[in-house]
Amino acid sequence: MTVATSRPASARPEPAGVDNRLVVGGTPLTWRALPTPALPDPAAVLAHTAGHALAAARQHATHGTELLLSTASRVDAAMRAELLDAGFTVALVGDDGVHPSAPTRPRAAEPGRLWLLTSGSTGRPKRVGHTLDTLTTVRGDQPDRTWLCPYAPGTYAWWQVVTLSLTQSGQHLVVVEPDELDDWPAVAAAHGVDAASGTPTFWRRTLYRDSAALARVPLRQITLGGEPVDQAILDQLREVFPAARLSWIYASSEVGASIVVHDGRAGFPVEWLGRKTPGRPTITVHGDELVVTSPYHGAGLAGPIHTGDRVQLIDGRVLITGRLDSDEINVGGSKVSAGVVRGVLTGHPAVAWARVTGRRAPVLGAMVVADVVLTPTAAPVPDEAALVRWCAERLPEYAVPRRIRVLTEIPVKETLKSDV
Amino acid sequence: MNELSRAQIRDLMDQVLKNQDKELPDDDSAQLREIGFRSLDFSELALRVEDETGEELNFDAPGLRRIATVSDVLDFLVELQQQ
Repeated sequence: MTVATSRPASARPEPAGVDNRLVVGGTPLTWRALPTPALPDPAAVLAHTAGHALAAARQHATHGTELLLSTASRVDAAMRAELLDAGFTVALVGDDGVHPSAPTRPRAAEPGRLWLLTSGSTGRPKRVGHTLDTLTTVRGDQPDRTWLCPYAPGTYAWWQVVTLSLTQSGQHLVVVEPDELDDWPAVAAAHGVDAASGTPTFWRRTLYRDSAALARVPLRQITLGGEPVDQAILDQLREVFPAARLSWIYASSEVGASIVVHDGRAGFPVEWLGRKTPGRPTITVHGDELVVTSPYHGAGLAGPIHTGDRVQLIDGRVLITGRLDSDEINVGGSKVSAGVVRGVLTGHPAVAWARVTGRRAPVLGAMVVADVVLTPTAAPVPDEAALVRWCAERLPEYAVPRRIRVLTEIPVKETLKSDV
Repeated sequence: MNELSRAQIRDLMDQVLKNQDKELPDDDSAQLREIGFRSLDFSELALRVEDETGEELNFDAPGLRRIATVSDVLDFLVELQQQ
């Protein structure tokens, strides 16, 4: 068996954003100036750096080779074997070239197919089939922007920023490697970043670490997604950037981008439920679950998709509070939404971040407990009792977390999400 | 296992009540109902014991018996650590 390493002749015009500016590892260049690796077809590319991932994306955009893009750390031995079995050549791509492992069951490539590995928040990562078109969310003309890309290569969120820069001129990109994440405001300010997309955890962490450095980034567009968004984080960002547009996007590998809200309020208007507009997703609620029927969902998915996300209708807004399978805590027969409790805790002026879970307890079966990170400037510093009292004033008795552990740092995963 | 003494558990019980602006009386025969120590408080106390000892308590083993006084709570949690 041989591994195909030659690239097919380009059958596509260069994408519209090919001359957009990229900053990779602090070095400015353009999409056009990226090296063009000779990738197998189909290939599962495990990129060594963000630069290698961008090069593979550009290669796909111009040649349409079947591509799954990820990093080595997101693909364990079992997944690697699964990919080889599914006909992919698994290719490690770094400065020293392309290192391919041949598929165990070779097959013909599917032209134009892009594969995503889901974040794994629903369990084991799985493959979802897309194309560059179904991954492209922003189609209308946009003001010129320089975007920050803090996401792990190959994730849905990463593709959102990358497709924007690839398909529209004037959409420049500053890429942050994982080891630069803590200092991204300095990198962003140095390269004129004026638009950034991140998870609420990413934004909370940045505000927590150095809000003064964040304020020096001339942001005009702030986007949040990937996790439940509460009013507290929106308000904190609004305080630092009063003139910026604050956008919340609900999107996933499975259903694509489905809800976009710009009014700075948590959730979306209840009037949007059931609204049918040609070419746009339809959002409904079944029981407590968000259900999306989208024209941008992954290959093989059709009709209404049960998202597994839990919703609550409060004051005319539909709030997404967390995953159905992990959001609900049963305290002695009373149901508690971890997301609602988390919202109350992060609403405390001294709390920068909170994680709420259930813990096995006598008599009640489970009890609500929480981990929090306090803001560095909190004064006075609340103790556990003060936080319990804060919650007790806002929640039913059974929903009040009684054990609240204070952590010194906001935990974050490679997906920029925390365990919520 | 780092077992807590009856006195240490009593201190934790005092803390649970203090967080709610309640007081633990000196007399261990005090009725839980009278001091407002309820199932949520008992669960919280058990979790505090677990956190202090670093060990999970095995609530299933002895079954939860009738607990009516401060003394009952303390005796029960001392016994539970020994299961």
